[in-house]
Amino acid sequence: METQYRGAVLGGLICQVFFGIVLIAIYRALYAGKPQEIPLSHVTTYVWLQQAFFRMLLATDPELQDKIRTGAIAYDLCRPLHLYSYYYARIMAQKLTGSVLRALPMLVFAALLPEGWGLCLPASVPALLLSVLGLILGLFCVSALENITMAFTMRTLDPRGMQGMLNLLMMTLSGNILPLTLFPDSWQRVITLLPYAQLLDTPIRLYTGEHAVSRAPEALLIQISWTILLIIIGCAFWRTNQRKLVIQGG
Amino acid sequence: MNTLRLYARSMAILIKSQLQYPLSFLMQTIAQLVMEGGEMMALILLIDRFDRLNQWGPGDLYFFFGLMSVSFYLTEIFGRGVTGNFPYMVRTGQLDTVLLRPRGVLTQVLCSAADPRRITCIAVGVVSLVIGSNLAKITWTPVKILLFAETIFFSFWLILGLFMIEAILCIHSVKSVELANTLTYGGRSACEYPSDIYPRPLRVLFTVIAPFALVMHVPASVILDKPLFSWPKWAAFVTPLSGLILFGVMYLLFRKAMRFYRSTGS
Amino acid sequence: MSYISVDHLCKTFTVRKKREKGALLREKEMVHALKDVSFEIEKGELVGYIGPNGAGKSTTVKILSGILVPESGSVTVGGMTPWTDRKAHVRRIGVVFGQRSQLWWDVPLLDSYSLLRDIYRVAETDYRKRLGELTEALQLEDLLRTPLRLLSLGQRMRAELCGSLLHSPELLFLDEPTIGLDAVSKLALRDFLLWENREKGTTILLTTHDMEDIAALCPRVMVIGHGEKLYDGGLQEMLSKYDTKRTVQVEEHRNIDHVIADMYKDLGI
Repeated sequence: METQYRGAVLGGLICQVFFGIVLIAIYRALYAGKPQEIPLSHVTTYVWLQQAFFRMLLATDPELQDKIRTGAIAYDLCRPLHLYSYYYARIMAQKLTGSVLRALPMLVFAALLPEGWGLCLPASVPALLLSVLGLILGLFCVSALENITMAFTMRTLDPRGMQGMLNLLMMTLSGNILPLTLFPDSWQRVITLLPYAQLLDTPIRLYTGEHAVSRAPEALLIQISWTILLIIIGCAFWRTNQRKLVIQGG
Repeated sequence: MNTLRLYARSMAILIKSQLQYPLSFLMQTIAQLVMEGGEMMALILLIDRFDRLNQWGPGDLYFFFGLMSVSFYLTEIFGRGVTGNFPYMVRTGQLDTVLLRPRGVLTQVLCSAADPRRITCIAVGVVSLVIGSNLAKITWTPVKILLFAETIFFSFWLILGLFMIEAILCIHSVKSVELANTLTYGGRSACEYPSDIYPRPLRVLFTVIAPFALVMHVPASVILDKPLFSWPKWAAFVTPLSGLILFGVMYLLFRKAMRFYRSTGS
Repeated sequence: MSYISVDHLCKTFTVRKKREKGALLREKEMVHALKDVSFEIEKGELVGYIGPNGAGKSTTVKILSGILVPESGSVTVGGMTPWTDRKAHVRRIGVVFGQRSQLWWDVPLLDSYSLLRDIYRVAETDYRKRLGELTEALQLEDLLRTPLRLLSLGQRMRAELCGSLLHSPELLFLDEPTIGLDAVSKLALRDFLLWENREKGTTILLTTHDMEDIAALCPRVMVIGHGEKLYDGGLQEMLSKYDTKRTVQVEEHRNIDHVIADMYKDLGI
């Protein structure tokens, strides 16, 4: 529960594991006092999956920030590229490469932890497959989202404050700071519909079986819809940006 | 003292230059408020769902959270030079300029940066403390107030000492600063909660290596009239000194690192 | 006893070489930045220090200013070893880097100077007098309220020079002070340095690649190459010694660089 410092710690493996253990210790103590409907093992699984794929959440391109500030973005705009897809692919690639290498060792470690501390088995084989699908769709969705925020920050020449707040939104509403399953039920109904929850919350719930296999198409449809919507908005943003670009030089 | 006057003047000039961009400054300060508010919200939601954490009630939890918030951000406001600026100084060779001036290195590093934007985070911490104090029905006596002030004071040194780990590793060109930061920022997150909820290894970590438990939790638990250990009450006045000890150790390591820097060059 | 006395100074750096194919660890290489360098400088001298890049010039200056600690050899500046009592030594010297700024970037010059006054613990009256003197000599009066980032390169160099002399140091190190400056600024800077040296008796050690600076300012020049001192004496003598191909007039600046290049070749550096 340390939004602002994750960046400082650079998401190192040991750091992620440490945070995972701390969070789970807290939840275990809480559960001991007041057991919940949702089994503890689902919560621990939630935490580990969030930690493992943490890299996918945050804004990943400091290079672009610099480009915007120095005005070098103008070069990109002169190139015969479809800018939107170029940056989309770029963002997605960075998220993928950043996550997969870290996720695997962490998931192995979490699977080896004792009951009540570690990763539990998926609810069923279909659940596992669906959650992987959900993760992939979630990746598309969050990349589209980030593309928009990037186009947005291109307009504001000093993106630091904006960036911080957007990161916070992402981390809170995706279930990273606190598993969405522990939010008040009324809140959950709304938050799970937002695009932020589509990255990790949806696949995780598919994995643990909270989204029953029968409900999976519904969940996946929400992901797809958001992805399409965000892509459309993103394209529009980039197009207007290309038209009125203010270059701040020297 | 002359050094304090230098520090005050440096701060004034730094803040003056930050206020040259008032809009950006305001936005960042508000962003800090929202971020810290978000962290507090997570606590509020947990309390809403679970009511208590072992023997600690809502008031106790708000109090612990507020204590950590206020201490940590207070240190960040004044000690930002060590975490934010020092790595940059080493990389760009600005550290040489520091060595060319007739003042201590740490003094100059502390004078080089301030982060007044964190003031809103402290405000959130204060709110948490007040809520906690009311809910836990703390009976404030002069002794408790003294203990509280002492806790904040020594927390500053503890956290500043932990910040220095990164600085020391920087000088030795250690690439993965992550481990050190895990202790500092991981410790911060973990010790927003009373450390007795954690398994043994973590408790030892936070008592012996990064003594958050000794500096903050022991006095806080005494203030809340729910002492962590069956130690006599006056022990709570002594345990915070461990923060100063940690700082002392780090300071010596820092000086050693500077000697290393000066014999190997940049 | 000379003001600056350098005796058999040696400094070695350990550098990690690039990883060889098939090797597990990177090999360490010893770079001898300074090999047995000795010289003496009297108070009030204006000395030039030249040599190709990597010769050891900045290493020498860093050791003389107390930043770097050598392996062996002794150095005394005004009776003190620079690196043993850093603060006391550094109070008496000033350093100007051509490529690096020592003033605060975002803040008006006057604020920078007042901070320096506090850092160097200069008395208020001395500070005012010195500031007045320097701003007049360097023509900074109109620029005092401007932050450093808004100044041109020439103005910045003047501001740096002022900042480094506020505490009236006895010894001034200059590292490439005229780099990137236009002709007018260069001349003004040289005039100022001559004035400072003559009026205040400030000892000046000038490291530079610009031979016109040396010709205009330094009666004495030291040449260093591959960590060894190769020449120490008057500029004219050096030029006549190494220019045997054609008669050189120091005023014709085209030739002086040719001479230096030939000299370097001759000395094998």
